[in-house]
Amino acid sequence: MLKSNLTGYAFILPNIIGVVLFTLVPMLYSLFVSFTDWDYTKGFGNYNFIGIKNFIDMWSDEWFTTSLLNTIFFSVVVVPATIILALVIAVIIDRYCFAKLPIRLMMFMPYISNVVAVAIVWVMMYSPWGPFTQLMETFGWKEPPQWLGDPTWALPAIMLMTIWSNVGYAIMIYTSSIQGLPKDAYEAAEIDGANALQQFRYLTINFLSPTTFFLVITTFITSFQVFAPIQIMTRGGPGSSSNVLVYYIYTSAFSFYKMGYASAMSWILFIILFAITMVQWHGQKKWVSY
Amino acid sequence: MKHFRIIAIALLLLAIITLPVVAGGAGESAKDEDIVTLRFWGGVPPEAGPQASVDLFNEQYADKGIRVEYERFVNDDTGNLKLETNLLSGDGVDLYMTYTTDILAKRAEGNMALDLSELIERDGFDLTQYGGSLMESYYINGKPYCVPTKLDQYGIVLNKDMFDAAGIPIPTEWTFDEFREVAKKLTHGEGQDKVYGMFWNSQQDLTYILSYLVAQTNGGDPMYLSETESAFTDPVVLAAVELIYNMMNVDGSSPTHADSVTQKLSQEGVFLAGKSAMTIGPWMVRSIKDLDNYPHDFVTAFAPYPVYAEGQRNFTQGGYGDMLCINPKSEHIEEAWEFIKWYATEGMLPVVEGGRVPCFNTYDPAEVTAAFLKGGEELLDSETTMTVLINPADNYAAPSITNHSAEIKRVFTEEMETILLGDETPAEGMAKAKERADAILQQ
Repeated sequence: MLKSNLTGYAFILPNIIGVVLFTLVPMLYSLFVSFTDWDYTKGFGNYNFIGIKNFIDMWSDEWFTTSLLNTIFFSVVVVPATIILALVIAVIIDRYCFAKLPIRLMMFMPYISNVVAVAIVWVMMYSPWGPFTQLMETFGWKEPPQWLGDPTWALPAIMLMTIWSNVGYAIMIYTSSIQGLPKDAYEAAEIDGANALQQFRYLTINFLSPTTFFLVITTFITSFQVFAPIQIMTRGGPGSSSNVLVYYIYTSAFSFYKMGYASAMSWILFIILFAITMVQWHGQKKWVSY
Repeated sequence: MKHFRIIAIALLLLAIITLPVVAGGAGESAKDEDIVTLRFWGGVPPEAGPQASVDLFNEQYADKGIRVEYERFVNDDTGNLKLETNLLSGDGVDLYMTYTTDILAKRAEGNMALDLSELIERDGFDLTQYGGSLMESYYINGKPYCVPTKLDQYGIVLNKDMFDAAGIPIPTEWTFDEFREVAKKLTHGEGQDKVYGMFWNSQQDLTYILSYLVAQTNGGDPMYLSETESAFTDPVVLAAVELIYNMMNVDGSSPTHADSVTQKLSQEGVFLAGKSAMTIGPWMVRSIKDLDNYPHDFVTAFAPYPVYAEGQRNFTQGGYGDMLCINPKSEHIEEAWEFIKWYATEGMLPVVEGGRVPCFNTYDPAEVTAAFLKGGEELLDSETTMTVLINPADNYAAPSITNHSAEIKRVFTEEMETILLGDETPAEGMAKAKERADAILQQ
């Protein structure tokens, strides 16, 4: 037994070394740093222990609270919107579309495209000469929003782009589950007189609940960590209207040089995500049927 | 025995994966031993002068066995981070440019810049003999960590043809109010044909604009009253903020901030395209000469920045920049120092053509002006180029406070954006900026 275990470990050793060296050690180091006032430009070892000061200070830091609220707003809209949209589109494609594969591929394209390229294209689309503003003006809207130049609309504009680029991934996952659904259940329902909407409501949604559960957890985590579109499209502006948590962590570490503070915020982000995932894990018993 | 073999295979695999890394590290230092190659990082694109300057050096110093390779980093947060990561992790960079004093202080204190005192003393290269006592403003904790090479003396860039057509003489002295009136007069047209009086280039960095307008009256620290108090409710600061706000949102004599942000407007795209009569700074001199990419036929002239009120021009906007530093971990400090001395005293003429004026008094002003105008003799007004950008003044406002500067700048930028987009009045926004900034400074 021991021998075969050893063999197994030997095989995964290269990978383990990588994970330990580049993930585990830095993670533990960041936990350690979060109790200090480390400024990384001063070199290793040049720090003071300040206890849990970082963890207390952040709650009175306007940048932190604003970016946390923005992140929550971002996720609370993006996650359900992506998943509901994906579910509906996946079922429609599966049931009523010709050329299913090309359509799914088209939907999937934004997800595998480079975020930077996508974001730059969307910056142009949101410009006053872009399709959104032009369309609204055509329909007689007097002063359409300035999108990325407007504190109210900058974050929603980025959210729209994120939904657009993520929905293809969710469709892909749903599609693979839909293809494995038991046909006999649908036949039975049809015989009992259930229409398409009822079948969707009582069968499809239930059958797909494990997939939905998986998607909720993963998209929640990724949308809490949104960074690239913010960095490219608005840099947290105008004002601090589109500042999100990870962008602020980056700013405080690499613009303000407060590595200790940034590490503390990262750990708070981790705790928040962990708590949300735990809650969902316990909540699943109520709505996920396997 | 079987599992030993398997372990051996696994270890072998591991070795294969890691070996090239080790070997790659060792292979790099085994270059031609006679020639020392210096790696020089700067924020200016190579074709704007640095490459020509470095080539000149390589030619002159070929027999002394020194070669310089120029590499460009983008002078923004990300680019500076890349440079600093390199500096902290070893000797990948031998010498480099620093562009602002707050970053210089950071690098000096973080052992990323070499204390040049010894080299300066040994060679009798006292900086003040080349650039006056202003050089001492660029010492950190009383010691030189850099050699400033460039004179950062700027002014309003203006379209001389539009001024002539409107019968407005090129100003040599003006106040905020007079400037605002001139901009109003020069604004005309509607929609796509609209020509603005002024373009603030506000999507780039709002703190620069503030500094140009305020430093002439208040001195080199436009954002600070002291180490622990910000200056955002100072009357001059407030007047500057109101000036920009009014021109964008009341007079319509400048593109709004929202336009600048959403259309990613640039000085090239607005001023050089003839869509504004004035703009904020002459760092696009290179583009003025580049008729292939920015075709235009008007003459560009310069004027000093307007001041708060009559008689309030206490300082000349300007100071030193392009601060050359040596990486303390470099193995070729001597050679890097050779290059710095050469560059500062005689090597900058190629970068002058790109619009960078040297600050050392070893250059002949006539030669500098000629180089500055080279290739743009028909497009640049030589007289105001000389008076506004090149002739050095003796009353610059030098910065001295860098406390939490990145955060203070961010606070100002956020509140300023909110003001310009019309969600706060200038007075409200700046009061809020002061409150937020002071809280940070007093931490």
